[in-house]
Amino acid sequence: MANTNDAGVEALRRLQQIDPPSLLAPNPSVSETARSASQYLFTTLRPFSPKSPLDELLVDGYDAEQIWHQIDLQSQPLLSTLRRRLNQFVKNPEEIAQFKVPLDVGKKLEKKKRVELEEEESDDFDEELDDDDDDFEGVEKKKAKGGSEGEDDFEEEDDEDEEGSEDEDDEEDEKEKVKGGGIEDKFLKIDELTEYLEKEEDNYEKGEERDEADEDSEEDDELEKAGEFEMDDEDDDDDDEEDEEAEDMGNVRYEDFFGGKNEKGSKRKDQLLEVSGDEDDMESTKQKKRTASTYEKQREKIQSKIVLMEKANIEPKTWTMQGEVTASKRPINSAFEVDLDFEHNVRPTPVITEEVTASIEEMIQKKIVEGLFNDVQRAPKLPSKAPREVKQLDDNKSGQGLADLYEQEYVQKTDPTSAPLSFKDELKNEASTLFKKICLKLDALSHFNFAPKPVIEDMSFQTNVPALAMEEIAPVAVSDAAMLAPEEVFDGKGDVKEEAELTQAERKRRRANKKRKFKAEAVNKLEKKARLEKKADNAISCQVDG
Amino acid sequence: MASSSMEVDNVLSEQKVLPPKPKFEPLKPHEMPGAAVQFRKVSVPPHRYTPLKKVWMDIYTPVFEQMKIDIRMNLKGRKVELKTRHDTPDISNLQKCADFVHAFMLGFDVIDAIAILRLDELYVESFEIKDVKTLRGDHLSRAIGRLSGKGGKTKFTIENASKTRIVIADTKIHILGSFANIKIARDSLCYLIMGSPAGKVYSKLRAVTSRMAERF
Repeated sequence: MANTNDAGVEALRRLQQIDPPSLLAPNPSVSETARSASQYLFTTLRPFSPKSPLDELLVDGYDAEQIWHQIDLQSQPLLSTLRRRLNQFVKNPEEIAQFKVPLDVGKKLEKKKRVELEEEESDDFDEELDDDDDDFEGVEKKKAKGGSEGEDDFEEEDDEDEEGSEDEDDEEDEKEKVKGGGIEDKFLKIDELTEYLEKEEDNYEKGEERDEADEDSEEDDELEKAGEFEMDDEDDDDDDEEDEEAEDMGNVRYEDFFGGKNEKGSKRKDQLLEVSGDEDDMESTKQKKRTASTYEKQREKIQSKIVLMEKANIEPKTWTMQGEVTASKRPINSAFEVDLDFEHNVRPTPVITEEVTASIEEMIQKKIVEGLFNDVQRAPKLPSKAPREVKQLDDNKSGQGLADLYEQEYVQKTDPTSAPLSFKDELKNEASTLFKKICLKLDALSHFNFAPKPVIEDMSFQTNVPALAMEEIAPVAVSDAAMLAPEEVFDGKGDVKEEAELTQAERKRRRANKKRKFKAEAVNKLEKKARLEKKADNAISCQVDG
Repeated sequence: MASSSMEVDNVLSEQKVLPPKPKFEPLKPHEMPGAAVQFRKVSVPPHRYTPLKKVWMDIYTPVFEQMKIDIRMNLKGRKVELKTRHDTPDISNLQKCADFVHAFMLGFDVIDAIAILRLDELYVESFEIKDVKTLRGDHLSRAIGRLSGKGGKTKFTIENASKTRIVIADTKIHILGSFANIKIARDSLCYLIMGSPAGKVYSKLRAVTSRMAERF
């Protein structure tokens, strides 16, 4: 070991002496020295990294990459633990002061070398690490601990060394100060907690190496110390012994931590004494507290509550309790914080999801397939009275004389069966004449002795025939265009106007005419329907009777 | 009173028997006191002279044969003279014939005027445009045009709807028909004179006539 150590140191020294530029060019001797130096470092660090799988750095025949990986394997966990410790120290600077270990000279030297090496071997290490290490150096110096990058082991060693001193210190501290923080009371002390955590970490890292007996002894020791912290002046020794004897991991009791329940009050008193430092007051209050019965305690509680409630009643109420409150009477944006309940008159808008649209489309498709369209059908108007026969105004000169007109009227009045000749009757007449024509033709075809009816000639004058009818050999085209004048061809009525030319009054008139005709048609339809139904009923009744 | 008299009669039945009440037939015109024969004279305006000559027989026949009134034309005086005969049944015949001829003179057709002879309750109402509304110059002309309508169709519409006959002679308007019908026609014509468009008058007419028709 010593020889290798010396060799390693020698290698490091040599490396230090090399010029940095010469490192750039590949040099076998430099690589040799570097390898041996790194091997030395590795072996020195090995005890501090319990988890690393390699016992020593394998250098022969290995690539730079491979060597670097081996170093990495060792150093990464160390770095993480170092960072953690550093964060702890940053949070609780007081702990640093606690670690007061005198520097060993050897350790110092080693540290220096390592520091120099770190500075030189910048290729392998990040600058951050160097900075960290520099910082850590300062911290280390404070702590007066030897060591290199991120080692827990030295801390562990120190912890182990210092446990006893720490305990003593803690005991003293315990007496001197009672932390007023809200979290801490006689149950929980943060210092103890951190100590405990550290110890557990160390235990965990060492792990299987440790003997269980040792762990047990350690735990016993810890528990003892826990008990010791709380036991101050009073007779605790008996209790401690009792606790230790009664102790298994399962049966942890109140007394284990805080001693007997009888002494609870006394302990509290002692602590108060220490804090205030005024014994007289403490004694008086001590007496009062002793004599306060449960009833008095309850009454005190209730009274304090009463005071609070009366205070609340006297004060003006919050705006939510004030009834009708306008915006000026309450603080700005206070309505946001209160959960207001009011009735919504409007149904919340439905959220259109895919399912909703799918369901709607499904319904539509189904309706299309079935042909079930909910078309709005005009409700049939109930015939309240007989449909008025709308008299259409005739603007032609009436053929009958006034006398005939009145005669007709008189006849109508006296003899209701004789119906007046209306438009329908004219249609009937027209229909009858057509039928007669057809009958005539059929008779001509079917009868042996057929006497044709005398034809009544209806002469009409076509005034627009050309005067001369020249016979053409080859008529190119024959058309009736020349026969009739445009006004004869035109079958409109009166002055025909474009849609755009119509005035408002004319439009209205057109519409009114249309409506009238439509109504008349509707009336006719109804009558037809009624007649058909009657006929159908009659037919059915006849059939039934027949 | 009758019963009392009857009772009296019954009471006094033994004493007296009164004769039955007499029944008198209506007096014939020539039996009436005053002049036995009655005349009517209807002057013929110049514009009706030629039409009168054309339809003289149509006038003469019903008057002489059915009404039993003597009728003759005084060419010199341009008058139509009517006289009762001894067998004229009713004194009102003369008046009817006079009215009939007078209506023809106003401008009505014979076939329309004949209705006067046949029906009792037909009258002729005459009024002027200025009675309704004072119109002058172009307004008057336009009013007349409105009354007639294009090709006379407004006038015919009113005639057909109200069962009357209308004669528009310049500013004079004559309506022939029964009392109620005259009223309808007169109202329509007044609206037209006062400026209503024809369509409006038509709608009113329609409403009125349908109401009239419903009544019967």
